[in-house]
Amino acid sequence: MSRNPGFLFVLPAIIVLGMLIVYPIAYTGVLSFTDSAGHYVGFKNYDRIIHSRVTSRAVWNTAYYVLGSILFQIVLGTLTGILLNQKFPGRGLVRSMTLIPWVIPGIVAATTWAWMFHTEFGIINHMVVSSGLTDKPLGWLTDRNTVMPALIAINVWKLFPFVAIMVLAGLQTVPEELYESARVDGATFWQEAWHVMIPQIRPVLVALTLLLLIWGLNAITIIYTITKGGPANRTLIIPIQIFRIAFEAFQLNQAAALSVMFFAFTIAFVIVYIRVFATAPEERGS
Amino acid sequence: MFAGTVLLVFICLFPFLWMALSSIKPLGELYTAPPVWLPEHPTFENFTHVLFDSNIPRYFLNSTIISFGSTAIALALAVFASYGFARFKFRGKGLAQAFILLGQLLPTAAIIVPLFITLRIFGLVNSYLGLILVYTIITLPLSVWMLTSYFRAIPAELEEAAIIDGATRLGILFRITLPLSLPGLVAIIVYAFVTTWNEFLFALVLAQDYRVKTLPIGIAEFTTEFNTDWGAVMAASLIMTLPIAILFLAMQKMFVGGLTAGAVKG
Repeated sequence: MSRNPGFLFVLPAIIVLGMLIVYPIAYTGVLSFTDSAGHYVGFKNYDRIIHSRVTSRAVWNTAYYVLGSILFQIVLGTLTGILLNQKFPGRGLVRSMTLIPWVIPGIVAATTWAWMFHTEFGIINHMVVSSGLTDKPLGWLTDRNTVMPALIAINVWKLFPFVAIMVLAGLQTVPEELYESARVDGATFWQEAWHVMIPQIRPVLVALTLLLLIWGLNAITIIYTITKGGPANRTLIIPIQIFRIAFEAFQLNQAAALSVMFFAFTIAFVIVYIRVFATAPEERGS
Repeated sequence: MFAGTVLLVFICLFPFLWMALSSIKPLGELYTAPPVWLPEHPTFENFTHVLFDSNIPRYFLNSTIISFGSTAIALALAVFASYGFARFKFRGKGLAQAFILLGQLLPTAAIIVPLFITLRIFGLVNSYLGLILVYTIITLPLSVWMLTSYFRAIPAELEEAAIIDGATRLGILFRITLPLSLPGLVAIIVYAFVTTWNEFLFALVLAQDYRVKTLPIGIAEFTTEFNTDWGAVMAASLIMTLPIAILFLAMQKMFVGGLTAGAVKG
């Protein structure tokens, strides 16, 4: 092994990740095909999950939440990144303040926004009512039609700064000549943004979208803290459903079946996404 | 553009300010419509309530121990692994890198059930060690990824000179490579610490006892279905945010530099 010190350097990390990732994944597979006594039951657990009405609700909610969040995170984050790349007095300070939502713990963002969205005493209802947008207070987090958009807004607030800072980093590598030649051609600011900046930061946006997708699928903090999946399962996402089946109904085997499907779907989606969008990063495999 | 900047700062800052203002309002000013903008009779009663009549101080201690422990382990593992990836060629390297990246793509909710059962078998549910180990798998993949690109950016010639002088690989790593990678190290320390400090789902499942529960769980506990002590929640939220804010402000330049450098190169 002394000829191969690189492998020895890497080994400890591989062992730890193997124990805590590979083993649990394999074990989830086993659990999903057995009953609580450990007897093989074929696809019975999967059958239960697939034919449960709650599951299709959870799938729909998850897609709504994740895709809605990503759309606004990318758009607002990119616009903010472009703004922060301009020269203006106090730019350093504004850049720092933009990061606040991202730095604040998820649970704190959740509780603070829940308080701001409070039906009776919340500042948001006060703002919308006193500015005449609505004539009576809205039950943002208790009404089935507003709860998901409100949660998406919180999630977007939490993560668009991260997109902005990454876009900013990407923009800083754009060569000045590209802007100059665009200006010679008489491009307006927005034409410049669309034809010069966006193509240059495309790899960053592709990677960010993937990261946001994974984070979105994992995200439980905001929704679990604020609504626990309610009202009437309107915000029940798959991670909360797994938690409920496993630790409230104590159906570990069914939870495992849902976990396996969730996992398989995520990996399949990631692979397809990388195939379709990613231009091979230069350092891969070197 | 000016209007955009003002709006941006307002949106980013306001919730934080509102939390801080709410935390020093007495009950009467919290539960009133229309809301009072600035507290007329500022009070610290929410803070004294949180500090002396709740488990929050204990949870603070738990969070601190678990975050430090997990960050230390993730850092040590990441330093060695990244150095191996950045400086050596060996069979299975591509596979090993893909495997570590897979850890970052993993939906945590999908492995929580078997992780819970596994830790239960080893008696690690409701223990510091269990949570510390589990958090390592969340922070390790991205740490390895960031640090590998940092190490790669350091010219190998510096190390080759030391090899000729007879230095060992470990000696080189600790005396040459690590001191040169300080911004990268700071970035992953901040990343690992903050991620662990904020994590919710694993703590919810794996810490069911006040002796190991962390701050996020403690704050969620203030909220019950019918009654929430919003003043206490805001005070506890502020207490939880403070260490993160201080850490971030102190390390900001290095952290953002290290983070974005890794992102652009990776």
